[in-house]
Amino acid sequence: MLLELKEVAKRYLRTPALDGVDLEVRGGEVVGLLGLNGAGKTTLLKVTAGLLVPDRGEVRLLGGPPRRARGKAVYLPEQNPWPAGARPAEVAHLLAGADPGFDRGRYRELLGFLEVPDRPFAQMSRGQRARANLALALARRAPLYLLDEPLAGIDLISRDRILKALVHEWRADAAVILSTHEVGEAEGLFDRAVFLKEGRVVLDAPVEDLRRRGKSVVETFKEVLA
Amino acid sequence: MRGRVDPAAGPIFEQIADQVEAALARGELRPGEKLPSARALAEALRVNPNTVIRAFELLEQRGISETRRGLGTFVREDVDIEALRRRRLRAAARRYLKAVRELGLGPEAAEEALKEVKDVT
Repeated sequence: MLLELKEVAKRYLRTPALDGVDLEVRGGEVVGLLGLNGAGKTTLLKVTAGLLVPDRGEVRLLGGPPRRARGKAVYLPEQNPWPAGARPAEVAHLLAGADPGFDRGRYRELLGFLEVPDRPFAQMSRGQRARANLALALARRAPLYLLDEPLAGIDLISRDRILKALVHEWRADAAVILSTHEVGEAEGLFDRAVFLKEGRVVLDAPVEDLRRRGKSVVETFKEVLA
Repeated sequence: MRGRVDPAAGPIFEQIADQVEAALARGELRPGEKLPSARALAEALRVNPNTVIRAFELLEQRGISETRRGLGTFVREDVDIEALRRRRLRAAARRYLKAVRELGLGPEAAEEALKEVKDVT
């Protein structure tokens, strides 16, 4: 098992963000992490990336705690994490020096595929920033990608390019957890959908099984999370 | 193939398999022809490549395609296009009859309407 979460709980002050989450992800799976704002999606991704330590429960990435699996989980935050004045090329240079998994050839290919402009992040549209950050994330070879709302608040064309890039870059050995509250366009990508509500997994099912029962992921989302 | 899937219309892998059969029945795809690669088709449809691979497996089970190692997936030479076409025609006929029944009419009215439409066009 690539990733295992057991009874994971995390509180911010007195508000529970995760309230006993169990989750297993195998290599090659694309998991849609679905929930409304505040459901705990970002906390779950951060705990998995080793950026937050759970109060309770256990996270195992490749059999050990995430902090010991450095470079094995690539986390793409929702907000641009790089200085506004930096260009993607400068960040790529930095990453290439810090992460042995950074693949320059693949990065160049992704720049073209995602049409990333060569200018500082501050001078990009939101869609361009999202595409640049995805290129930087996917250029890092890793068994697990944690993508936090990569489709939120950006233009339709950028969303479609990102979806196409995710299919294009799909590898049988790497898993992806993609969080989103805009389920519609992304649902074709998922093997499995995990619905999170108030810090708990309320449904975890293969998406084709949901469709077999006559419901799209979008319809299930409305039903389960309403 | 007419690349579109509807997540609200049942499993996507079955829809993809159905579209391959439809392309064969319409003559857009022929026996012996190579199908697009799973990845190319997945990209065009914005779906998980696993889903396309499952569709190809279903087509293989139905005796429609075969995978040649290292070469890709091909439509079988011995695929019975006529049988496919008849099956789809019957399915279309059932949908038509259902619509007729919903109007409170029977098969005679259905046949009559077919003749009328044929005369006009």
